[in-house]
Amino acid sequence: MATCCRRPFLLSSTSSIRKPPRAPRRSYQSSTHPPPPPYTPEASSILSSSLRHVPQHGFTQTSLTLGARDAGFLDISTNLLPRGVFELVNYHLMNQRLALKDTVQFPEEGKEAGGKKTGVGKKVRALLLARLRGNIDAGVVGRWQEALAVMALPTNIRPSLAELARLSDEMWFLAGDVSVDTSWYTKRASLSGIYAAAEVFQTQDESPNYKDTEHFVDARLDEVQQVGSTVGQVAEWLDFTGHAAVNVLRSKGVRI
Amino acid sequence: MNAPRIALRSFSRAQLTSKSSLLGARIPYRCLSCSTRLAQTHQFSAQNGADGARTTHFGFETISEDSKDDRVGAVFSSVAASYDTMNDFMSLYIHRLWKDHFVRSLNPGINPLTSSSSEPQGMNILDIAGGTGDIAFRLLDHATTIHNDQTTRVTVADINPDMLAEGRKRSLETPYASTGRLNFIETNAEKLDAIPSDSVDLYTVAFGIRNFTHKDTAIREAFRVLKPGGIFACLEFSKVQNQLFDAVYKRWSFSAIPLIGQIVAGDRDSYQYLVESIEKFPSQTEFRDMIRDAGFVIPGEGPDGEGYGWENLSGGIAAIHKGMKPIGA
Ligand SMILES: C[S@@+](CC[C@H](N)C(=O)[O-])C[C@H]1O[C@@H](n2cnc3c(N)ncnc32)[C@H](O)[C@@H]1O
Repeated sequence: MATCCRRPFLLSSTSSIRKPPRAPRRSYQSSTHPPPPPYTPEASSILSSSLRHVPQHGFTQTSLTLGARDAGFLDISTNLLPRGVFELVNYHLMNQRLALKDTVQFPEEGKEAGGKKTGVGKKVRALLLARLRGNIDAGVVGRWQEALAVMALPTNIRPSLAELARLSDEMWFLAGDVSVDTSWYTKRASLSGIYAAAEVFQTQDESPNYKDTEHFVDARLDEVQQVGSTVGQVAEWLDFTGHAAVNVLRSKGVRI
Repeated sequence: MNAPRIALRSFSRAQLTSKSSLLGARIPYRCLSCSTRLAQTHQFSAQNGADGARTTHFGFETISEDSKDDRVGAVFSSVAASYDTMNDFMSLYIHRLWKDHFVRSLNPGINPLTSSSSEPQGMNILDIAGGTGDIAFRLLDHATTIHNDQTTRVTVADINPDMLAEGRKRSLETPYASTGRLNFIETNAEKLDAIPSDSVDLYTVAFGIRNFTHKDTAIREAFRVLKPGGIFACLEFSKVQNQLFDAVYKRWSFSAIPLIGQIVAGDRDSYQYLVESIEKFPSQTEFRDMIRDAGFVIPGEGPDGEGYGWENLSGGIAAIHKGMKPIGA
């Protein structure tokens, strides 16, 4: 029968469907997600001033307007940012990702006390926590549900997921895992999943110093080791951001 | 002999009516197929005619520059009243939505609550080629209802007194008629002598710039009158991106619209001009480059010139271009 014959074929070809990148020494800094165009100096200066207003005014046009004024521009100058508030979210994500390599430093191999090098798993954990810490330090945790709602708007989903994948790539790269094997996509998806879920958890975490978020990350990392992939968590994250969007719209009086 | 006129108009008609035009052999430009070439070679600077007189374009006609402003004036005088009908046909009935979108995306107005000074200070907006006031009313509506802003002002400028008269008449039916927030001035966009330098927050031009004799001069004037940080914003018919749709739309615009113009307004020539002026307008990229050349920073564009710098509407039948005058310029 066709089905019975196809099944083993499918099984054996799993590795060719989920083909690892062809180049043998390809790192996680993947070209499948080319970085978005860097911002012009004008746009950067408006956005970085605007971020300082997010703790008080949220991811909103008001923050952009106030930021533009602080940077010496006019209210109308925010037209320089064609995607509006999403640009503010994206700017934060991009900056946090690029800052990771400076905020987290691993001792050089072999130079660590005891002569043992830090394992990839430990590095990934440190990177995840550092990235989550970035949200706290930037003062945006209390406003992150707004950001999720903005990311969940139909036109923003794709670039948001692409940025999430870039973050995952960056973390694997900094953790020193440049291995290219059949688990390439799984690993990327797992890390994206853990980060995305932890980020959502963090918005609701009321424990001192966000200790619960740290436990949450540890629990997810353990799961990956035991069960494997957490692809499902990206779906959960998407689901959550969808709800967040609905809630924000409702709070603005839209009847959904 | 007068300034030479290349009689493209009669030819283009012939092209539309008979596919195998006998005229084709004698005439240097084929209307539809050469349109991009025409646009490329003619848009940036005026040409010298055979006898040395400066010439420019009136639709696909080449006419002397001096007479273009008059000719354009005549077109808009003759269509002023039936203007909406024409726009409806030209845009497949969606220009009102484009205008709404244009204004919403600009987000004009300043909420007095967030204003830094105690005296509420609205924006100073200049709507060029504002004719019937369509854009101006929308700008004020947005500022007032979205930002609770009662002080933002719009100056409607147009070269044509009949269009301005129509705009004034319509303004009487708006809440802004006697508020001092709306005024009308008759001026050429290429020479805004009445407007001081560095005085305008937002310069808008909707469906106007393709009629200007010197588009680059007008854009530089915009740059002059804008405050540093001010925004130049243009809504204009543009190049349809999908080839099949482009072909269909061209058929519609070139053959149907002048005919409809004949029927509803009894003025085929004016509508013919409007259709042709759209076809000759620069592409999205070329126009973006003209704005950048005048000194503007292009939104959504990285330092390496990546990104697009414009927004297509309805597949490119129209497009929105913006630019910001840099600080310290
Ligand atoms: C198609 S109408 C656009 C009117 C209005 N902005 C709208 O969107 O409905 C074009 C206008 O441009 C004006 N115009 C043409 N050349 C001009 C120039 N050189 N300076 C100022 N206005 C001009 C015409 O008088 C006419 O009112």
